[in-house]
Amino acid sequence: MVLSSVPAEYYLLLSAAVFCTGLFGILTRENALMFLMSVELMLNAANINLVAFSFYWGTLTGQVFTLFTMALAAAEVAIGIGIILVLYRNFDDVDVTGPTTLRW
Amino acid sequence: MVTVAGIYAYAPAIAALPLASFLVALFAGRWLPKEGALAGILATGGSLVLSAVTLVELVLTGEGYDERLYTFVAPAETFDLGFGVLIDPLSAAMLVIVSLIAFLVHVFSLGYMNDEGEPGLPRYYAGLGLFSFSMLAFVFASNLLMAFVFFELVGLCSWLLIGHWYREAAPPSAAKKAFLVTRFGDYFFLVGLVGVLATFGTARFAGEGGFPAGPTPVSALIHAATMVAAGVFLLARMYGFYALLPTVLAIIAFTGGFTALFAASMAVVKDEIKQVLAYSTISQYGYMMLALGAGGYVAAFFHLTTHAVFKALLFLGAGSVIIAMHHEEDMWLMGGLKEEMRVTYLTFVAGSLALAGIFPFAGFWSKDEVLFETLVHGLGANPLLLGGYLLGLSAVFVTGFYTLRMVMLTFHGDPRTDAAADPHGVGWNVKFPLAVLGVLATVGGYLNPAPLAKLTGAEVDFLHRYLDGPASEELLTSAHHYGDLTHEWAGYTAGSVAGGETATMLGGAGLSLALALAGAGTAFVLYRGPDPDRHTEALGDLRTVLVSNYYQDEYQVWLAEGLTLRTAIAADTFDQGVIDGAVDAVSSVSLFSGDRLRRLQTGVVTNYAALIALSVLLGLAAFAVVGGWL
Repeated sequence: MVLSSVPAEYYLLLSAAVFCTGLFGILTRENALMFLMSVELMLNAANINLVAFSFYWGTLTGQVFTLFTMALAAAEVAIGIGIILVLYRNFDDVDVTGPTTLRW
Repeated sequence: MVTVAGIYAYAPAIAALPLASFLVALFAGRWLPKEGALAGILATGGSLVLSAVTLVELVLTGEGYDERLYTFVAPAETFDLGFGVLIDPLSAAMLVIVSLIAFLVHVFSLGYMNDEGEPGLPRYYAGLGLFSFSMLAFVFASNLLMAFVFFELVGLCSWLLIGHWYREAAPPSAAKKAFLVTRFGDYFFLVGLVGVLATFGTARFAGEGGFPAGPTPVSALIHAATMVAAGVFLLARMYGFYALLPTVLAIIAFTGGFTALFAASMAVVKDEIKQVLAYSTISQYGYMMLALGAGGYVAAFFHLTTHAVFKALLFLGAGSVIIAMHHEEDMWLMGGLKEEMRVTYLTFVAGSLALAGIFPFAGFWSKDEVLFETLVHGLGANPLLLGGYLLGLSAVFVTGFYTLRMVMLTFHGDPRTDAAADPHGVGWNVKFPLAVLGVLATVGGYLNPAPLAKLTGAEVDFLHRYLDGPASEELLTSAHHYGDLTHEWAGYTAGSVAGGETATMLGGAGLSLALALAGAGTAFVLYRGPDPDRHTEALGDLRTVLVSNYYQDEYQVWLAEGLTLRTAIAADTFDQGVIDGAVDAVSSVSLFSGDRLRRLQTGVVTNYAALIALSVLLGLAAFAVVGGWL
């Protein structure tokens, strides 16, 4: 198997890289859609970890867990897009730094 | 558990029939001939027959009946709550009394309400039906919870019926007063119910405050057979508990004697015929309380029975007079009615002589037995009972006086108004109940002529034997069982003056009869002429006090406005100022600091994300240091 020749550390590095990309996106972008994508990246970084460890230990638990995470991500996207639509309708824009009126 | 005898299975129907008439009158009364009166007469007549049959069955078989109909909470769990039927001599006799009075009141109402074209008849008959139902169910209730439920219903019905003429000024206010007084009693009933065996107190069911404003037949029902009787009946029902408590018994007896005199004194100066009767009711219930407190269980029930008869008679007689007088109730505007209203006059006099306790009418025998029981137990070294006896004895004179005054003013002398000179005739539906009750008031005393039984040795004290019968034996409600209880626990022993029991009895009876005759004679002499003077005016200031009912109403208003309202306002000020102030002060600290703290928020999502990321990093670093990764 090709996969078995790849050590677990590589997967972890990949996962960390994807996670940091997502985090970077959240910290620097102002567009709500980019936010959503960044969050997806972070979630999937966690998924990579789960699958990698699952594979490493030879059990299926991590992979099954990943399926759940994906379902959760889908639900989160649905809500996220809903929020973005409302945001656009109210502010004619999807810039997340603009609407700050909920603070107090 | 007593075995079930055939006819007893129908006992719940005694109460269910008036319930049916209530529903019929309420929903269909408008379209029925007589607007529901016939349904009510049929139903209460049926109840009367059924209760009479039940009574006969009880006497013949000597077996009571104790059956559970419905269970809320099973005895196995903490409380035993349910509905049931208890038929013992006490409740069987009471069922007959209540259904008889209810039946006659329904018949009388035909004359008093229907023939006079009163409005709201279906409502009236529905109220009467519900009233009869509640009272009958209260009587055969097998436990306190059920008794409480139906007592509440009785209170509700009295409110409904007293306030029947709700468009006028006085009835709604009287209804409200009656309701509040009832609620006050109910409150203690509830306390007693909850504390079942622990809390016995409150002889408050003697009930103060008159109920003067309802339709007259309603007064007859309330005063004779239901509302007011309910308190005494409850006390008799629970006599097994009270008999164990000498202090409570003595207080009940003394309060009873005091009530007898207190209420009678107010009846002396009243000018309205129904008011005289209302205060006389309170006074007579005082006698019953006196008897119960003095260990005269049979005497109390005897007086309850005879009083139910003659007081219903008097109220219905008053109703008849009021019809004749075109709804005038002031006795000073009557006079000379005896020629025109023969039946009413004769029956009313029979009732009055019974009330005054004149030999040989019913009231003489029962009142005498009450006083005799009190006297012998008082002489058996119980000074509080002797005090009660003296009060009760004085009330005999007063009772004789106000009763005869009422009769003289209403029926004798010359007519003082046009209405009295030409009274409006009354029909059979008025005369029939009066005649039945008149006969009963005359001969009712022979139900239990205890003095005759003692003198001749003949077994004529039927009521005593009945209440002591085998049916009560099994259910532990027999008269001698209660006698044993009062003797053992309350230390009641019979004493007598020189000459033994017979002399005490004859002396007591002679004394009370002499006092009654003296009172009646005084009134007769004073109010004899064709145009009597207002002799009570001579009492001066005392009369003012009596007419104002010892300022009880003023006192109650003061209690409400002067005391309760002021206390409430002060408490409100304290609540608003001190308690609310403290709470507000504490919360203002939170409000202020919260207001300052929330300025930290930026509302920019990116900032929060950065903070979270930073915190995670810091957390990682902390783990690294503490966990020793570095």
